[in-house]
Amino acid sequence: MHAEQVKHDFEPKVVAFVCTWCTYAGADLAGTSRMQYPPNVRVLKFPCTGRIDPVFILRAFQKGADGVLVSGCHPGDCHYMAGNFHARRRFAAFRALLDFVGVDLNRLQFSWVSAAEGGKWVEVVTELTERVRGMGPMKEFKELELEEQWSASLSTPELKAAYDSIT
Amino acid sequence: MNAKAQKAKGCGIEPAYYDAVTQAIRSEAVKVLKEGAVSAVIGYLPGRRKSAAVPAVVTTEEEAGRLIFSPACVNNLSLYLTKAKKGILPGGKIGIVAKGCDLRALAGLMGESQIKRDDLFIIGINCAGVQGAVAAGNGQLTEASIAKKCRECTAHTPEGVDFVAGTLPHLDGLTPLEAEELARIEAMPQAERWAYWKEQFSRCIRCMACRQVCPFCYCEQCLCDKNRPQAVESSPRPAGNTAWHIVRAMHLAGRCAGCAECERSCPMDIPLNLLNRRMAQELKELYDYEASMAPQEKGPLNQYKEDDDQSFIK
Amino acid sequence: MSRIGVFVCHCGENISRTVDVEQVAAAAGNIPGVAFSCDYKYMCSDPGQNLLKKAIAEHNLTGVVVAACSPRMHEKTFRKAAGAAGLNPYVCEMANIREHCSWVHENREMATAKASDIVHLMVERVKKGKSLAPITVPVTKKALVIGGGIAGIQAALDIADAGHQVLVVEREPSIGGHMAQLSETFPTLDCSQCIMTPKMVDVANHPNITLYSYSEIEKVEGYIGNFQVTVRKKARSVDESKCTGCGVCIAKCPKKKIPNEFDQGHGMRSAIYVPFPQAVPNTPVIDRENCTMFQSGKCGVCAKVCGPGAVDYQQEDTLTVESIGAIVVATGFKLYSIDRKPEGSMIQGYGEFGYGTIPDIVDGMTFERLASASGPTGGKILRPSDGKEPKQIVFIQCVGSRAREKGISYCSKICCMYTAKHTMLYHHKVHDGQAYVFFMDARTPGKGYDEFWRRAVEEEEAVYIRGMVSRMYQKGDKIIVMGSDTLVGVQVEIEADMVVLATAVQPQEGADLLAQKLGISYDKYNFYSEAHAKLKPVECATAGIYLAGACQGPKDIPDTVSQASAAAAKVMTLFAKDQLERDPVVAKVNEKYCVGCFACKKVCPYGAIEEKEIKDRQGNVVKVIAYVNPGVCGGCGTCQATCPSKTVELDGYTDEQIMAMIETL
Repeated sequence: MHAEQVKHDFEPKVVAFVCTWCTYAGADLAGTSRMQYPPNVRVLKFPCTGRIDPVFILRAFQKGADGVLVSGCHPGDCHYMAGNFHARRRFAAFRALLDFVGVDLNRLQFSWVSAAEGGKWVEVVTELTERVRGMGPMKEFKELELEEQWSASLSTPELKAAYDSIT
Repeated sequence: MNAKAQKAKGCGIEPAYYDAVTQAIRSEAVKVLKEGAVSAVIGYLPGRRKSAAVPAVVTTEEEAGRLIFSPACVNNLSLYLTKAKKGILPGGKIGIVAKGCDLRALAGLMGESQIKRDDLFIIGINCAGVQGAVAAGNGQLTEASIAKKCRECTAHTPEGVDFVAGTLPHLDGLTPLEAEELARIEAMPQAERWAYWKEQFSRCIRCMACRQVCPFCYCEQCLCDKNRPQAVESSPRPAGNTAWHIVRAMHLAGRCAGCAECERSCPMDIPLNLLNRRMAQELKELYDYEASMAPQEKGPLNQYKEDDDQSFIK
Repeated sequence: MSRIGVFVCHCGENISRTVDVEQVAAAAGNIPGVAFSCDYKYMCSDPGQNLLKKAIAEHNLTGVVVAACSPRMHEKTFRKAAGAAGLNPYVCEMANIREHCSWVHENREMATAKASDIVHLMVERVKKGKSLAPITVPVTKKALVIGGGIAGIQAALDIADAGHQVLVVEREPSIGGHMAQLSETFPTLDCSQCIMTPKMVDVANHPNITLYSYSEIEKVEGYIGNFQVTVRKKARSVDESKCTGCGVCIAKCPKKKIPNEFDQGHGMRSAIYVPFPQAVPNTPVIDRENCTMFQSGKCGVCAKVCGPGAVDYQQEDTLTVESIGAIVVATGFKLYSIDRKPEGSMIQGYGEFGYGTIPDIVDGMTFERLASASGPTGGKILRPSDGKEPKQIVFIQCVGSRAREKGISYCSKICCMYTAKHTMLYHHKVHDGQAYVFFMDARTPGKGYDEFWRRAVEEEEAVYIRGMVSRMYQKGDKIIVMGSDTLVGVQVEIEADMVVLATAVQPQEGADLLAQKLGISYDKYNFYSEAHAKLKPVECATAGIYLAGACQGPKDIPDTVSQASAAAAKVMTLFAKDQLERDPVVAKVNEKYCVGCFACKKVCPYGAIEEKEIKDRQGNVVKVIAYVNPGVCGGCGTCQATCPSKTVELDGYTDEQIMAMIETL
């Protein structure tokens, strides 16, 4: 009945930005219902998806997240009436931007999980974790973190020669 | 292909057009200053080098008589109205020379409560185009020298202005290089796109010219300058560069007027306007929003509809 | 430098079974800024809380993380304890290592690692946390009760008796709700109207109660203690202030053949009508869709015969804005429709039962009206098709309820009891008749309930058949009921004269729309969600809104009345103070850096953001910036995510806190 939890070679880091009223409560319900899901997710609680800044997602990827989940109340259910509607537009735009700069959107999941949907929480988290596990580590942003070069690659032989002469 | 042949094939814009616009601007600027309708006019004066132009705030009729409009009048002058740079202006109503793209920026700033229409006397230009980063030797506009944004301009004719300068000459259709480039990048496999932008962003030296020149970057304190917390690394390293350009594009989404000053001013030739255009394209597709010459009450990311697309949400 | 205390709870074995709590506590002790860490069997117990208080004093802690259950469970407990020890409650946070960890993972190593990570996240959050002072707001001591059934009536009377003003808003022309429709009530068989109508009159006469009947909630703004509620008073076409309730208009109305909703469509009413004789208010309403005057402009009889001149064809809907301090939602239920397949619903319907195409298959409420002395048959059980007395009657329970394949998995709770009651009423009225009941099992918990059911079976001669009905069809003037008796293991076929379906209890029509106006949550069936299933059964998660009756889940009358009084008690508790302390999680503007683009104002769902002029000493306006009204701010933080420079910041969820948490990844 329970998904078997064995340690895999690659355990992805998954970060979930969730609203406190719906998805956090839905995750609580998954707990009280003793459902099982992969232990890779780290939940950051927000009052509302409306509070979630795209910068947080960016920062999460930079800090080593292999997958990011943003989840809140279904449309019309927002505790603050409209926070999730604003979030929906904001993330639609942000998603397009990330796609354009070449981020694989399979690593970024948006969902509506209500306080009553413990099962859906499990499903969403499991699916994202397993998908990201299959994709392997999110290297792109991590590599950037490690790179120190301040300017473009030495694209011409002259530059390369000049660079070599000083080192 | 020599310059003459290019001109014949390309823009075909006679210097006489710019002269006519110049004369119209001068006479109107002199008039409004003389009448005392405005305390200053923001426009362009000839630069020190031949065929160059510099932005200027003129307060006398004599100075106003020297205002010009030429292919070198690239700057978006609305920049000088925003709060961060406001100190240079005298009080009272201000005249401003505005191309179509600049006018969209003015409208955007009005929508964001940064300026009031009543405080402005707008001299709109029937704009045939201005030059890109590389000017032709003789200062004339050729197909080679016209700015990329002008090749596919949709804002030649000003709307809702106090005075219109010049008459629009016949304009030949030019290949939309930027749109083609946008399509090319979009068609790339995702990993290749990342490589493309990684290379572009890694060149960034974080001089912040793109921010300084943007009429919408009027924040007193930029998020990217904050260090408690530091949302975006401030040193010119690849990680911080990428974050900066993503944050910049995101903050301008639904606000950008498309003047492409960011890209023009970039010393490292990063194609920043592609990011802006991609966002504009997305917001047009999703929410039917476009930057306009009339102020809009709310931008596309400050409003919502209950039935907005949510196909990306599980 | 922060001095954080970390307290890891075993929760008996709930956490320690899967998570190595000692290891989590030890790991927490190594996080920079953590001055103390320990584990304990039950942190929420008195000794646990004392441990926390003692540690705060002994180790001079500046913040506390309790790694235990969900903050929805015990955040208040620990914040209170931290507060008692002299710490600001808002630098006490919970790391949820039970619901989000030990209960959902089995691998001890990975669960322990996750628990440590969760603790680390919260430690960083607390390190960057600020002390916050509660905000006090005034309380408007006037309650709004939505719904005028028994739940709403009870809540309104209790609050009004305590000396507070109450506004009752009822959608129908009269209060009374479903209870006014019932014939007799279980388990005592006393007449429903006899006990209901005096309460209705009390509402009408109570000096502290204002009744808006035939009205609906249009808009709800504001927050606990300070709601602004717009009520739409629908055009009654009769001036309530002039009408004396003499009833001449009703007697003279030429259009009299309109099925009466109150009688489930089995009695007739006129176009100008009161739903039932004891209606409160006793003011008629014109059903414009059926009124000749409104449809063709000809008639006007009621206006002509009305002595006081109360009939007003020109009357329009009016909107009234009321200042309200607390709201009790008591919108009740409806029955699963057997007449039609609900459109766009997850409910499947009962095609095999004939969807109301067979006139003598009725639902429980219709049977109530047929059995009621004030009903269309004057209390005689007569079947709708030909008015004959049914000699064989079949009751079917759990129609819709407990039928996952039909879309509803819950038990409707009241049907076992009312079906038993129906068999008795039938037996009392049709002495030579025979009642059969198809049931899954009889659920009769309640005082005197099981005795009542046994009486139906043992004394009142109802034949209970354990099994379900598969199909029904009309044959001549009989209904053939095909079912199975699962105890005997045979197929059963009964030639019935009439069939009564105990259809599922569902929330009222439009319950979801009202919830959206109120900003309260509801489950997938549209029943309103209480804040806690056991410990906060009448509160909504939205402060200042309380639930009473079947809008929260199927309930019988005693339970409904209890919950209504409980909701009233909650309202009275709120009204006992002049000032209310509010959670200080609100947004604030950094006035130095705000440039006044007002993006925040555009997105604020509460309209909490105002324009504020900053003036110099001479009184010249230097700049216009945003200002957040802390009383109105709901604390969603949409403003901060929208502000490009983050000069508006939500206390309790600052960028610094969130970024610090992200840094731990």
